[in-house]
Amino acid sequence: MEARADYSLLRPRPSGLLPWLILSVAGHVLLTAGGLVLSWAFAGPKVDLEQQPIKASLVRLGKPRDEKLLPRKEEEPPPAPPKPAEVPVPAPAPPSNAVKIPSKDAKPEKAPDTKKSLFDALNKASKPAELEGALDGDPHGDSAVQEGERYYGLLKSVVQRNYDVSDAIPEAERRTLKAEVALWIGPGGELVEVKLTKPSGNELFDSAVVGAVKKAAPFTPPPPNLAESLKKRGVAIVFRATD
Amino acid sequence: MTRLLLAALCVPSLAFAQQAVIEINKANFRPMPLAVAAPVAQDDAAKRASAEFDSTLLYDFTACGLFQVLDRKGYLADAKEGVTAGSIAFNRWSDVGAEALVKTQLSADGDTLRADLRLFAVGAGREDLKVSDSAPSKDARRLAHKLANAVYRFYTRETGPFETRITWSRKSAQGRDIYVADWDGKNAQRITSDSVNVLPALTRGGVAFTSYRQKKPFLFISRAGGEPTLLLAKGAMVTGAAFSPDGKRLAVSVTEGENAEIYVANADGSDPKKVTDTKFFLNTSPSWSPDGKRLAFVSNRAGTPQIYVMGADGSGVKRLTFQGNYNTTPAWSPRGEVIAFTARDERNAFDLFTVNVETGKIARLTQDAANNEEPAYSPSGRLILFTSTRTGSRQLFVMTADGQNQLALPVEKGDYATPDWAE
Repeated sequence: MEARADYSLLRPRPSGLLPWLILSVAGHVLLTAGGLVLSWAFAGPKVDLEQQPIKASLVRLGKPRDEKLLPRKEEEPPPAPPKPAEVPVPAPAPPSNAVKIPSKDAKPEKAPDTKKSLFDALNKASKPAELEGALDGDPHGDSAVQEGERYYGLLKSVVQRNYDVSDAIPEAERRTLKAEVALWIGPGGELVEVKLTKPSGNELFDSAVVGAVKKAAPFTPPPPNLAESLKKRGVAIVFRATD
Repeated sequence: MTRLLLAALCVPSLAFAQQAVIEINKANFRPMPLAVAAPVAQDDAAKRASAEFDSTLLYDFTACGLFQVLDRKGYLADAKEGVTAGSIAFNRWSDVGAEALVKTQLSADGDTLRADLRLFAVGAGREDLKVSDSAPSKDARRLAHKLANAVYRFYTRETGPFETRITWSRKSAQGRDIYVADWDGKNAQRITSDSVNVLPALTRGGVAFTSYRQKKPFLFISRAGGEPTLLLAKGAMVTGAAFSPDGKRLAVSVTEGENAEIYVANADGSDPKKVTDTKFFLNTSPSWSPDGKRLAFVSNRAGTPQIYVMGADGSGVKRLTFQGNYNTTPAWSPRGEVIAFTARDERNAFDLFTVNVETGKIARLTQDAANNEEPAYSPSGRLILFTSTRTGSRQLFVMTADGQNQLALPVEKGDYATPDWAE
């Protein structure tokens, strides 16, 4: 009788299936949570369907000034109004069917870095937008299309904007003034070091060229292919007072 | 062979390791931010002279165009701070934007005022210049000019304008009078006190001007502020006197009927020679080139008054201005390259321009500030003195040769005209 009961299918028996079942459920939960985190982390930019498009129209070129008339004074363009600091708002996790639109600034492959966004916003607010290429470049030039060249173009333009030299230097002396500065830039665009490698002999000029580099810093972070070189070998800038 | 292999291995890696080079040309030249601390007076007599000394020094540095003098309201100077490099908190001066710092000490010994000026490079925290001088206590202004000149010379290696002289004609109850003053318009001495006296021109030890004192408007000269004497009487009117840079010759415009011609004479008025000859036209306002070989002048021979240049003997006449239809009062820059002049633009405003003697390129110096006329260069050519109606009446203003830093001379209001400037 007892032996028959031993073989009964209704009798509860110890089973090794339960741990696997629990493991399986936990694994699925983890996978689902991981998937959600990854989809949030690698989400593209939020598409605001309510946003109105920016309309721009170019002002027609006016008639050239009659050559017989006396010239008007060449005036510098008025300074741009200060931009309010952009406060980044962390975007909520977009729906899984969010449309990814590639844009100039966004990098959809990477998670949005709040600290970097804030730094960039403050950087933008405190400094005028950097121009592509060089200030003295040709409007049809394409030498800034390569990332490296483009970066050096940006560097040149931002230093040039801060290249202020005292009027006290005699005009005759200005024609021969030349100095060289070496600077090292960190991966975040910070100025690691600046050195006057070839002084001009004129202290006002020498301090002005070093000052131009210091005032221009911090720079835009260098592209990955230049980061190491700019940190270790640096870049040299040759300054001349006149053309 | 081994060396060759080593070199072959090293050369590409060296090229790879080469530092990138960026070239930047053409600096933005701008005035140097300069802080001028209030003078430290060491006794009561020095305190009395301190205000005049201070205002003169401040004006000199502000108006010369080399410096951007920082407003004292923008910083709190530490009263306890010393005047030597070791006792100065340079970081505080650097924080307010100063690149150079001037500190002065004044002391009096009887009737003599002594000033010690120190110039510091703020960035380097270093004393660049120390200069001391003294003058009678009543000449605190002259003392300030001398010390300002030392600072100016330190930077530019040129003589500063602070001890130069200017002259002008000013409307008076009787007509117009001639004045000679320091470069800032102070210490003005009236040379004439009757009749109509206009168009003064400075020469060594004197000032020549056109005067109606003997009925006909002829050229007179006052030497060392003395009684004017006749210098040149010719035709119906002698105007626009200009002495050559070496002071030996004199160019004038002599009017007869409807015609005016340029004459060049000896500085004492003797041996006048006609150097232009255009019947029925006017040739006026001569101005010497810095080498004394050429003259700029105004002529209406082409229908409207325009600027011309020619040799001092009248040879090689060349028209310089082709824009605008009323260009007058040329002043040849002592630096030689350009001639400043007054022009009436299409809005009927009188403004100052320069024309490049070689290229004919015109640049505007003044704009949208009422009428600006009658330029006169400083002896170094760095500054221009001119008249402007921007404050109502016709006042004297000074600016840099490229039209920057336009400042009114600190003189009382009046109707000022035809300034001239000399050492």
